[in-house]
Amino acid sequence: MALLQISEPGKSTDPHQHKLAAGIDLGTTNSLIATVRSGKAETLPDLEGDHILPSIVHYTKDGTVSVGKSAKLFVCSDAKNTISSVKRLMGRGLKDVQKIKEFSANQLTASGTGMPAVETDCGIKNPVEVSSEILKALVKRAEDSLGGELGGVVITVPAYFDEAQRQATKDAAQIAGVKVLRLISEPTAAAVAYGLDTGSEGIHAIYDLGGGTFDISILRLEKGVFEVMATGGDSALGGDDFDRAIAGYLVEQANIDKNDRGAYQMAMIKARDVKEALTDKESVEINFMHWKGSMDRALMNSIIAPIVDKTLVACRRTLKDAGLKASEVQDIVMVGGSTRVPLVREKVETYFGKKPLTDIDPDKVVAIGAAIQADVLIGNKTDEDMLLLDVIPLSLGVETMGGLAEKIIPRNTPIPIARAQEFTTYKDGQTAMAIHVVQGERELVEDCRSLARFELRGIPPMVAGAARIKVTYQVDADGLLKVTAEETITGVKSDITVKPSYGLNDEQITSMLQSSVSHAEEDMKARMLREQQVEAKRVIEAVQAALAENGDELLSKDERHAIEEALKQLAYIADNGDIEAIEEAIKVVDKSTEEFASRRMDASIAKALVGHEIDEI
Amino acid sequence: MTKAQQNYFELFGLEPNFSIDVPKLSAKLRTLLNSVHPDRFASSGAQQQMLSMQKTTQLNDAFAVLKHPVKRAQYLLHLKTGIDTAKDHTVNDPEFLMQQLELREELETISGGNDISQLHQFADKISALEEEQESRMTELFQQEPLDTDELEKAIYKLQFLHKTLSDIEQAEDKLLG
Repeated sequence: MALLQISEPGKSTDPHQHKLAAGIDLGTTNSLIATVRSGKAETLPDLEGDHILPSIVHYTKDGTVSVGKSAKLFVCSDAKNTISSVKRLMGRGLKDVQKIKEFSANQLTASGTGMPAVETDCGIKNPVEVSSEILKALVKRAEDSLGGELGGVVITVPAYFDEAQRQATKDAAQIAGVKVLRLISEPTAAAVAYGLDTGSEGIHAIYDLGGGTFDISILRLEKGVFEVMATGGDSALGGDDFDRAIAGYLVEQANIDKNDRGAYQMAMIKARDVKEALTDKESVEINFMHWKGSMDRALMNSIIAPIVDKTLVACRRTLKDAGLKASEVQDIVMVGGSTRVPLVREKVETYFGKKPLTDIDPDKVVAIGAAIQADVLIGNKTDEDMLLLDVIPLSLGVETMGGLAEKIIPRNTPIPIARAQEFTTYKDGQTAMAIHVVQGERELVEDCRSLARFELRGIPPMVAGAARIKVTYQVDADGLLKVTAEETITGVKSDITVKPSYGLNDEQITSMLQSSVSHAEEDMKARMLREQQVEAKRVIEAVQAALAENGDELLSKDERHAIEEALKQLAYIADNGDIEAIEEAIKVVDKSTEEFASRRMDASIAKALVGHEIDEI
Repeated sequence: MTKAQQNYFELFGLEPNFSIDVPKLSAKLRTLLNSVHPDRFASSGAQQQMLSMQKTTQLNDAFAVLKHPVKRAQYLLHLKTGIDTAKDHTVNDPEFLMQQLELREELETISGGNDISQLHQFADKISALEEEQESRMTELFQQEPLDTDELEKAIYKLQFLHKTLSDIEQAEDKLLG
């Protein structure tokens, strides 16, 4: 007979259970998912062994959705129903995106929310829904290969993503039915993958050259806080431009009419092969249509040099924004498949005066960093020192008279943070106030990005300037914002979780969540019940662990008894009750542990302070 | 058992004083965040997450005030006397008013030219004045009873010097183009 295991006192009931978590790089062109297995972070392949999932979604009339390689097959043959580069639409208004080249003007339409949407044979699809399909495909891949449900994911977003774009990403995850542990910025994830967060303090540059976009981010690591000092780049510059330039050369050599689209398409494919071959080889033979020839690396370099130089111009400008010289950068992290091109590495090395970091596959580095962070957040690592702190990338403000933007939280403020500011009425007897939330660094509201508008009504009529309206901005650890407005004399309150102007409201998300589950409604119910049971289990484990740790010192006998009773009740209902009953029982436990949780927090602060005093001596 | 809301100094286990070792404070912030940051509760219940979010917000808020000499002085004065100097307030100090005008004029002349070293010299001068003002502030806050008139004046001066330093930075950006 096997021996029964008894857990150590003070530890959670099942301390060594490895929880499943993953990091997701949700890219414009390609997406990846990675996880930490036996202490090593690695990206997960599909059944055919491919790690990269093209960020392409295809819809058919009968409602079949395909994602990735199988969707890519339809890019030319069924362009109308095939959506690529959806990331460029996330959190944007229709007007913002009409000029984007990937979307023909007639492909985009306005959805009820002011968001752009794509008309397909399967109905109108908004960017959040489309992204959720990509997330679902990745999550399924991970769950199939890990053999269990993911407890949560970390999703990466570009450093310059504003509030609306972050919210849209989080909404997509919610619709995909996956818990987001945290959103982190792509350059931060890349830095984490290289372990720069645990290294010495200093300035790091993340050079990210993808297929169609170039991003350069300057990060400063100080006391464990990654601060984004500046970001720059070009949203229409990438490895595809290398292919285009090489294809142009081939077409010219073969003397083919430039307007022959078919030949040009073939030249593009050939160009890509040539580029990839010349990464390792010094020279390649080329058979292109009737033309036979060769290309060596020097020739290719001369063809693509102007494009690489463009990236360096962006680097220079961004360093200037950060107030830095190239020599002050400690590490340069290379991200994106196009950084494999030798000329890119050479030029970057010359420009910064030191060798860039290239050990980790540049396609995978962001996903790997996200996976490492997910592993910490889910609680698999007890490395107390790894704490990734973030700042808000763009100032948050409010519109004041004359169309001016008043900053309430300046950029680079560490999050989470809450700031309040008082405003007053402009006219005698004014009973309502419009609050316009904006984001950006510019003085004028019209130059900033409009995030949300709402109204505070029911202000008692007073003379102009007498009312006191306190507007509070609260930003959580993911960089998501909640705004409340309150008239402080009378206490009239308007509590509004700001949903960005181009976002989805809760009902829309719920309805998408329902429609996204292709099965019958019962399945949906069953899934919600299971989720609620998991939540109940999580609450019970957390409280038990807390009781074991310091229930004796912080609680009286009666208090402890009350909590234990609530737990027993919850455990019973979790096995026997319906969704609502479990929800209710969780609330009862929450209520009974409110004071205990707060005492624990205070105790841990006191402990940390004492520990600190000792360290100082 | 529930304590009244702690003030910013208490949050960091400090006596309410003007003089603060900012690098030490920053290290302390990190130690505290290590035990209360929402990332530590990513897989806990909603209640714990809310609580940790509140605490972290409070700590970040407190740090932003304490690390900044002007905000710290304003906060400390408000804490000790209830006087709020954060809102518009005027101080009657003709002597300083004159000095202010002269310094502003000097800055305008320098930023009108194109000699960056002159601007740097000016920056050094203002920094020295600022340091001087900070030590004066420390002394003023140690007096019993507090001379609130003098404190208000001192805060006003410190605020002016701070503003001038940030204007110098802007002028530098312009000069460097």
